[in-house]
Amino acid sequence: MATRAPEMASAVPALTPERPVTWPKRTRARLSNGLEVVLAEAHSIPKFHGELLFRAGEALVSDRSVGLAEMTSTVLRTGTAKRNSRRIEEDLRRLGADLGTSAGQDTSAISFAGLSEFAEPLLELVNELSRDASFPPPEFERERRQKLEEVKMERTSPGFLAGERLRKVLFGSHPYARVSPTEQQVAAYRREDLEQVYREIYTPENALLLMVGDFDPQTMLNLAEKTFGNWTGKKPAAKEAPALPAFHGRRVYLVHNPGSVQTQILVGCHAITRKHPDWIRLGLTNSLYGGAFNSRLVMNIREDKGYTYSPRSGVSPLRHHGYFSVSAAVRNEVVAASLTEIFYELDKLRSLLVPPAELADAQNYLTGMFSMGLATQEGLLSQFATVALNELPLDYLETYRDKVRALTSEDLLATARKYFDSANMQIVVVGDRAQVQQQALLFGDTEVYNAQGERLE
Amino acid sequence: MTQLQIPIHSSTLANGLRVVIVPDTTAPVVTVGVYYKIGFRLEPQGRSGFAHLFEHMMFQGSENAPKMQHIKLINSSGGVLNGSTMYDVTNYYEAVPSNALERVLWLEADRMRALQVDEENLTNQRDVVKEEVRVNVLNQPYGGFPWLDMPPVAFRNWANAHNFYGDFADLDAASLADVQKFFRTYYLPNNAVLLMLGDVNPQEGQALAEKYFGPISAGAAPPFADPTEPPQTEERRGYVQEKFGTLPAMAIGYVLPPRRTHDWYAMVLLDQALHGGRAGRIHRELVLEKQIAVEADGGVDDVFGYNGPSQMTTRILHKPEYSAEQTLVAFDEVLREVQQKGITDEELSQLKVKWRSDYYSTLEGGRGGYMPRYGLMHLLACFSLFDNEPQLVNTVLQSFLAVQREQIQAVANKYLRPENRAIVFRAPVGKDAKEAA
Repeated sequence: MATRAPEMASAVPALTPERPVTWPKRTRARLSNGLEVVLAEAHSIPKFHGELLFRAGEALVSDRSVGLAEMTSTVLRTGTAKRNSRRIEEDLRRLGADLGTSAGQDTSAISFAGLSEFAEPLLELVNELSRDASFPPPEFERERRQKLEEVKMERTSPGFLAGERLRKVLFGSHPYARVSPTEQQVAAYRREDLEQVYREIYTPENALLLMVGDFDPQTMLNLAEKTFGNWTGKKPAAKEAPALPAFHGRRVYLVHNPGSVQTQILVGCHAITRKHPDWIRLGLTNSLYGGAFNSRLVMNIREDKGYTYSPRSGVSPLRHHGYFSVSAAVRNEVVAASLTEIFYELDKLRSLLVPPAELADAQNYLTGMFSMGLATQEGLLSQFATVALNELPLDYLETYRDKVRALTSEDLLATARKYFDSANMQIVVVGDRAQVQQQALLFGDTEVYNAQGERLE
Repeated sequence: MTQLQIPIHSSTLANGLRVVIVPDTTAPVVTVGVYYKIGFRLEPQGRSGFAHLFEHMMFQGSENAPKMQHIKLINSSGGVLNGSTMYDVTNYYEAVPSNALERVLWLEADRMRALQVDEENLTNQRDVVKEEVRVNVLNQPYGGFPWLDMPPVAFRNWANAHNFYGDFADLDAASLADVQKFFRTYYLPNNAVLLMLGDVNPQEGQALAEKYFGPISAGAAPPFADPTEPPQTEERRGYVQEKFGTLPAMAIGYVLPPRRTHDWYAMVLLDQALHGGRAGRIHRELVLEKQIAVEADGGVDDVFGYNGPSQMTTRILHKPEYSAEQTLVAFDEVLREVQQKGITDEELSQLKVKWRSDYYSTLEGGRGGYMPRYGLMHLLACFSLFDNEPQLVNTVLQSFLAVQREQIQAVANKYLRPENRAIVFRAPVGKDAKEAA
């Protein structure tokens, strides 16, 4: 091949000494009404990023109907006692701000970012949304109608169908199994249901206010007290949830997607939460298996065999449970071949010690990646939110890298044996039944569903 | 108003490689990028998708770092890497702890100097790229809409109008000889810019650039096809079937004025008035007020990142009870309002504040949270390669803030005209797209 200079140093340059990783100091406080506040300075740009997080979401209310917490978050930005929808959106633009509202299984959030020079009016708007949302009936009707189209649409996405089926399988009658509402459920939403959810979840005792950016922490804390200090409300009572199903052997769930020119594979099993003492070692084991570009799974089914573009594995932590999953969108002819490799790599990690050099590489990757979050306001915010929401030790960020570096190949072998439950993994494939059913059958008894979630066989 | 001033150190090596260094010691992390001035617009005819396939080949090995080594060396240094192919540039970038800077430069220089790949690598990556196309386009609802649907409808010059991801027949036809030729023609130091941003001392960065990239020989200036479009005289329409999705969709694209002209600055702010999120006029009217559409968004994508004909494109998914014509009428009404009444001073002032705020975020922001300063890198690279003026990063904002209200109305009338637009209708299977329109 063409060479442009003969005299190139052929040895890989060594790493130079590391510069220390220093996380910015956090200011932690509680406002007079009990609202927990975490602040940190970051002067990269004259802006700040914030989140008002509430420690409850779909799981708290999904026995009433699925998707209520998300619908509540959607409609709450459309009106307050003082501002209508158009006014809210134009005010945001006037402040150079972005605002998002969302709800997951365990949290609801109002996220915001804006110019530091307009911090006060932006916080005032967040305050209004969190306590004086008015849920205007026409806005509610419009959003419900929109949601109906969305729930029809999401059933055409292979990624959605795979994720939904795996959650149903792994979580059974637990609220975490309820991923998205049916059309009938959306049609039956009532505005009063949303107001009820809003009153229960959006309270200061249930909330956590995080802000990172170009500000002085004491000034910002005073502003938070002035803005949110006289807001009152209790946290909702915790709820008992049913136990998770147990699995004996693999089973296949085929979601029939007619005309599919590719098959989405998603394989999973129960795992752990962020708070669990094994979290860091499972993170490292996952990173080595399929969590990085350089991981065994990616090297095998992408770089060696060319079955897929973006294979990956990950641990998804919810508040009370977590799960491990492996995903790959592969061409229809190699579904069985890909599953074979997925299990082969899992079993290999369960059987053999990871060579020391590979362990060191994975440790470097995880510790290096961790520092990337330091460079942006959003990256910092996300790390601080993880620590605060999961009640992790206050020195979690500062000690994380040492904990990763202390792990041994024996630790990883034990972790893989404990959590990569290969023999009992549940296998979801979304594809054209005629193309993939015979291949899927090789891996276990098969249940077949359509995109609407109805069982075909 | 706080002004952000980025310290930019730029130079050119003897072989023509431009070098841009921006020190910032906030975090012990450095982002490195190499941008080549060749994208999918000017890839060879009969080889659609080749620029992107080639980008994959750049991860397959170079003389001193064989297959797997690039990825392994970056990940095991605690960093991440990727590349992307765009209209007029292709980039390769890494974010690593700053103690790995020299290693990253060595790797990038090795593949600029001596890419070393074989048939097996090509077959492997051709398979990977086909799965990429399937997962992003062929097996997705509205896959490739409208970025792949629009060009063949809107443009007549092959450079602008072809399938950028590649027809599978063209991907199959691509040979190792094509890979070598493309590398020799375009992957030259004198057709590239090297960027280092973050925890790097400018003098040290410069010395390392000299050390690793200096010995690479320059090549003949690459020949570039002319992307100029013949004049358009009437509206253009195209029809595509949607295989999976449930809603009828359409995309409307208007050709933009030439980059960095007065009209262009005004047009970009007009784009914000039209497409700026939930406050934007199109979303407000079609989704929130008239409730015809379920989604109505879009605008000028990657505003600084192209060097040839480009569009402001609106993407609409509408409710089935409205016809495509009814939807288009409502869309046209939104434009007519701006054409007839212009926008208020208050609206313009809001747009400028939001633009400034978004610009800061672009400069700081990453990709997916793990590629710090991606935005700044991208702007510096495009301003270097297209304008030969990386300092524009610090001055371009002023040109947007100087736009007057009258200019907005003027460009609305001048550019938002039927003979300057193309429309793609994408209706679900079972509904004939043409009939639905």
